[in-house]
Amino acid sequence: MESLRLYVRLVRLSMQARLQYRADFIMGLLNIIALNAINLGLIGIIVYRFVDLNGWIIWELFFLYCLWLLGHCLYSLFFWHFWELEEYIVQGTFDQFLLRPASPFIQFLGREVQYIGLADMSVAIVGLILAYTNLHLHWSLGQWLFFPVVVISGTLIETALVLMMACVAFWAGRSSMAINLVMEFNVLVQHYPIDIFGMWFRVVVTGLIPVAFMNYYPALMLLGKVDPQSPSAWLGYMSPVVAVILLLIASGVWHLALRRYSSAGG
Amino acid sequence: MKIFWSFARSTFQFIVAYRFDFFMEFVLAVLRMYGIYWVWRILYTQRPGAFGVTLEQMTTYGVMGMALEMFIWSRPQWYMANQIKSGAIDTDLMKPLDFHWYMLARSIGEMFIGVGVLGLPALIIAFIFLGVQFPPDVASGLLFVVSMLFGFLLLFHLNFLLGSLAVVALDIRHISWAYFSVVRFLGGQIVPLWLFPPFVAVIAEALPFKGTYYIPISIYIGKLTGLDAFKALGFQAVWLVVLVVLSRLLWSAAHRRLVVQGG
Repeated sequence: MESLRLYVRLVRLSMQARLQYRADFIMGLLNIIALNAINLGLIGIIVYRFVDLNGWIIWELFFLYCLWLLGHCLYSLFFWHFWELEEYIVQGTFDQFLLRPASPFIQFLGREVQYIGLADMSVAIVGLILAYTNLHLHWSLGQWLFFPVVVISGTLIETALVLMMACVAFWAGRSSMAINLVMEFNVLVQHYPIDIFGMWFRVVVTGLIPVAFMNYYPALMLLGKVDPQSPSAWLGYMSPVVAVILLLIASGVWHLALRRYSSAGG
Repeated sequence: MKIFWSFARSTFQFIVAYRFDFFMEFVLAVLRMYGIYWVWRILYTQRPGAFGVTLEQMTTYGVMGMALEMFIWSRPQWYMANQIKSGAIDTDLMKPLDFHWYMLARSIGEMFIGVGVLGLPALIIAFIFLGVQFPPDVASGLLFVVSMLFGFLLLFHLNFLLGSLAVVALDIRHISWAYFSVVRFLGGQIVPLWLFPPFVAVIAEALPFKGTYYIPISIYIGKLTGLDAFKALGFQAVWLVVLVVLSRLLWSAAHRRLVVQGG
């Protein structure tokens, strides 16, 4: 509770600093919306001539994209600056978090909120509503209750993965390329249903870098595409479990990294 | 010769210093090629008739789109934005070399590193594992090389124009996200223009972006041949002239503004 209050105060401070650049804020929002529109346009063009991609029609693909995006936007709102962890470490400014009598993690989190994530959020919500109506979906109460769980799990899965990759900086000094690697798998999973890819790719995004749990497996269930006889039908419900396991690992890595940390300041 | 060796040495040192980054970049490139390869393969098996080309041509197009990025990618805009933001741009302007040519020389250097360290190895992987084919004949291969060089120059100038905007906008990070996806989309890096719906194709056909990916790769896979290929090269050349003139004009306008800002 105490740390939540601290987090909110820190975020308010950083937002005040950020709001000085209002034009930049608006440009950021517009550009993110344009970026997503172009991505969706590309997916649209790919299936425009072919009606479907391995049995996924256009609105199902949009659903897949936007379900991922909704989980991702919460990540980018609150945790985007994991990217910048390496800068704090290389320049030795990470020390400031260790000197104050509060959790270094909370202090680091409170450094920033990336509110252009709001643009992602609006695209995702509009896209999901359009997909839901155009696909004539009628979710049961259970599916409605499970939907927010999927979104939050998606956020936590991405956050945990990126945090682990960011911690690479404690050992290697650099981490942005490691984060890029996770994001590349992420982008592929966001754009295309993983059943079009070869076996090893599916194994990687299910077991090793489990980003398929952000959208693909739950989407199978939410879109009614899952075959109840299939031996892997249960994967659609595993997102929260995967999220919890990843968070535990990430938290372990973080604490290990903190113990490993020796300042660059010397 | 001496200059060449000193250049080669500094390049080598650069690569060694960033070997982890280069390695990861390479892995990313292979992943992207793998992804697009499967997309086209699956779509093609669904409807072989809808493409107007063979399966091998289509997957080659997709994979080459990803590979070409490492051949023609230059990043003058980041350098320009950084120098303008930090104010270090004045040391660049004091150099006895025209700024535009200086940026071009830098970008050519970057391109050689990119091609040697990322582009060629990625292509070898693509040839072995992703069934990428050679051009149908020698002429197509030669025209492809010419067209790719045009593509490099076109993309350089588009990026240079974006970098010039940094004088006014100061931060081009956000604009560049949308800009990159426009280049990829209208340039035909992922989906070739002949698969576009008519109303988008009309726009894409007129703009210079298609000279970056679409034209070189279409020549490579043998979709554009003979007179059509030469027409496409002409299209690239005309746009290149336009973009060079635009770059000169915009930069000199930006330069004046910069001097005023500096006081």
